[in-house]
Amino acid sequence: MSQQYVLKKENFNNFVEKVMADYDFIAPVKAKKNILRSKSLYQKISNPEDIFLDDHSYHTVKGFFNDPREKLFDFDGNKIINPVIELRQRVFFGLRKCDLNGIWHQDMVFLDNKHQCDPFYKARRDVSVLIGLHCNNGFEHCFCNSLDLRSDFHDLMFFDKNNDFIIEVGSDKGRKIIEIASDFLEQGDNLLTEEDRKIKNMGHELKTTNIKKFYHHEDWKTKGADKCLACGACNMLCPNCHCFTIEDDVDFSLKKGTRIRKPAPCQLKHFTRVAGDHIFRQDKTARFKHRIYHQLQYFQDRHDVQFCTGCGRCIAGCPARIDWIEIINNME
Amino acid sequence: MTEEKKETTETGKPKVAFHDITGCQGCVLSVIFNEDELLDIINAVDIKEFRFIMGEKYDGPLDICFIEGAVVNKEDEEMVKKLRERSKVVVALGACATHGNIPSLKNWADPKNLERLQYQKKHEQMIDVPNPMPITKFIKVEYSLPGCPPDRDEIKKFVKEILLGKQFYSYPDPVCRECRLFENGCLLDEGKVCLGPITRGGCRAVCCHNGFECYGCRGITDDAQFEEYFKLMEEKGIDATTVKKHMETFAGVEINEALEKIQEGKWAKLH
Amino acid sequence: MTTKQQLISESPYKPVLAKITEYVRETHDSFTIKLDWKIHHQPGQFVFCSLPGIGEAPISICSHSDEYIELNIREVGNVTKKLGQLKVGDELLVRGPYGRAYPMRDFEGNNIIIIGGGCGVAPLKGSIEFIEQYRNKFRDVSLFFGFRTPDDTLFRKRMDVWKEKFNMHVSFDKVAEPSKACYDGSQGFVTQKVNELVGDNTNTVVFICGPPIMIEKTSEILLNKGFKEEQIFVSAERLMYCGMGKCGRCMIHGRYTCLDGAVFRYDELKDYKDD
Repeated sequence: MSQQYVLKKENFNNFVEKVMADYDFIAPVKAKKNILRSKSLYQKISNPEDIFLDDHSYHTVKGFFNDPREKLFDFDGNKIINPVIELRQRVFFGLRKCDLNGIWHQDMVFLDNKHQCDPFYKARRDVSVLIGLHCNNGFEHCFCNSLDLRSDFHDLMFFDKNNDFIIEVGSDKGRKIIEIASDFLEQGDNLLTEEDRKIKNMGHELKTTNIKKFYHHEDWKTKGADKCLACGACNMLCPNCHCFTIEDDVDFSLKKGTRIRKPAPCQLKHFTRVAGDHIFRQDKTARFKHRIYHQLQYFQDRHDVQFCTGCGRCIAGCPARIDWIEIINNME
Repeated sequence: MTEEKKETTETGKPKVAFHDITGCQGCVLSVIFNEDELLDIINAVDIKEFRFIMGEKYDGPLDICFIEGAVVNKEDEEMVKKLRERSKVVVALGACATHGNIPSLKNWADPKNLERLQYQKKHEQMIDVPNPMPITKFIKVEYSLPGCPPDRDEIKKFVKEILLGKQFYSYPDPVCRECRLFENGCLLDEGKVCLGPITRGGCRAVCCHNGFECYGCRGITDDAQFEEYFKLMEEKGIDATTVKKHMETFAGVEINEALEKIQEGKWAKLH
Repeated sequence: MTTKQQLISESPYKPVLAKITEYVRETHDSFTIKLDWKIHHQPGQFVFCSLPGIGEAPISICSHSDEYIELNIREVGNVTKKLGQLKVGDELLVRGPYGRAYPMRDFEGNNIIIIGGGCGVAPLKGSIEFIEQYRNKFRDVSLFFGFRTPDDTLFRKRMDVWKEKFNMHVSFDKVAEPSKACYDGSQGFVTQKVNELVGDNTNTVVFICGPPIMIEKTSEILLNKGFKEEQIFVSAERLMYCGMGKCGRCMIHGRYTCLDGAVFRYDELKDYKDD
């Protein structure tokens, strides 16, 4: 059985400072007002006071694992120059169940040895320690209870219980953190009840994840795509969406340059544009359905687990607040 | 789309000129403001005319001619037509040249009001200015580099791609893509009339990143969802006239043309 | 705590150099190049070709040999247009092969019908060469090709050989009068020939590659003639960037064209051709 530790909340800052001495510490912070308007996002912090845990972060951590401008290699004419990436040991703190599962899903895509493991993702992933934070209560747009998510994918998991954090160890990487901060921790056993492991008061519920039979349903268009502004915000905020594009950037010698990988949102028209200017998913409804079906069906068909992690960021971040959960719940 | 052959001269470099008609010259400045790579640009091409950095005049044939500014009078019109004849490729540089920008606001202003706005200092005589229009209304342009001012990196990218003989595609996605990429929140959520979802990005969402809503200086995307946008604004309690005024600030000419085609021109008629 | 610099020397995105050993201009907008790239591949697979600074494009292999690779390329985009300007001796970057191939070994002892339209003939050429190499393993082999005009005919020299070996039928959508090119075929769509000449479906498999509308019409005709969906193999292509199921761009209703295609069995895709 996994070991448990108790961290008194008054010692939390000491814990963070101790870990920070050996690792970059990345945690949700309240954004500066003019940038994000009181929402939170993950950033590297230097002061434990900055950590903000009252809300579900608006942005995800996926940018830390897949750089939005990942250099695949440099070239000089036809000569390929291997890229160098800078890595620092780092700890992600405050990852919710949805974030952790999102990372697990990215692992399935990028660390899939059968279809070539992605060395960039792997390198960034290898230096990362994932510390989760259990949500005692859900947030407005969450619905993770309606999905089959893993609750054992973490290096450490924090449970907020009264005046303490109960910590569960999930891996050797996590155990190392425990060793570093052992001064502030007390070992314990069976400190969590079934009730403590539940997420209560979730804002949303998805009635069914089996949406195969709804593929030709009218509502995708009338209730969803007809409100969609085709801005791609949902893709950019999703912890899972990983589609990308590859581009060459050259300097003025026109010989030297870099091949770069950038995220590409599937809700945008140009996502499926091929040479000769043909666009396969020209229709907004097709694009909308593609996103939802990828989240609930396509990934499941391939990996036996739903892609969607129920974080609701795509609803919270949609300018038109297209609530696809409601759309599915009302389908018959 | 036009087929692009590599434009070269005896020196192997394309002959390039930067011209400006009525405008603030901010766009040509954004070429010059590429401090670190300005010399690279100058070396990569054969600059024949660029009145900000050189005194020489030239009236021979050009391979690439960048034009900044809107056409507001006969002289401007003649000038762009002449430049068109001399150039293999014409590039509309900046929002005035591509979309009419601020000068074109006059097209939708109340004439009486206009006089007051223009001549608050009580000039004796009213100068007769026809309706300012982007150069694209007078001549065919091969490429457009929109923005007020245009993005420096995009200008560099354009020059490189032309030198490589590639077909240049300007950034097709809406501002929102980059806005979220740079970890901003949504200004629409705050009730601001942000034109991000319908506006062509490539600007690194610089306005939104600094808390200022998008005014659409780069023109609309080819997938702009006007109906959905007006509907959303209405739900937020912002009336269509306000939204329309906002849209007319930079890319009014283009937006009005697009609005003519939907909902029987319901929104195009609003003023 | 220190920053570690990690050199990424092994990467699936990293291409290798290949030299062009032959260059044949096929039509006004397409050409075939032969590369000195020795890599094992199967009929129906594809590779990525790239030119530094220009970009990368997926191209299907149109040969079957462990000694070299042939690619037939149509000049439509930035990369392909630039590739067309290369000459013998020039080098380009390649990686691959990717994709699911035609399961040729499963079809041994069967009749094979190959139907290609326009540049869709190119990916089929690999399977035809495979059949040529293992001719005695297959029974009757029929080829149906359709081109827009006689000037658009691909692989003219190979066609002359195939004409002797297989039942080959070439049709042209339009034949200009008087025709400049010497041609051997009939006027009309390839679908007409298929309708006229294809009969029995016992122990037969069909490969179709070409424009989506041609694939659709041809499959329709075959299904009406009693062919089963499992007997028909079609090609579907989408925009792709990685070739290994990561970029997500080539997905057709949950299937990656790069991993599960570009060759699909008809029943796998039939309802989602436009997705």
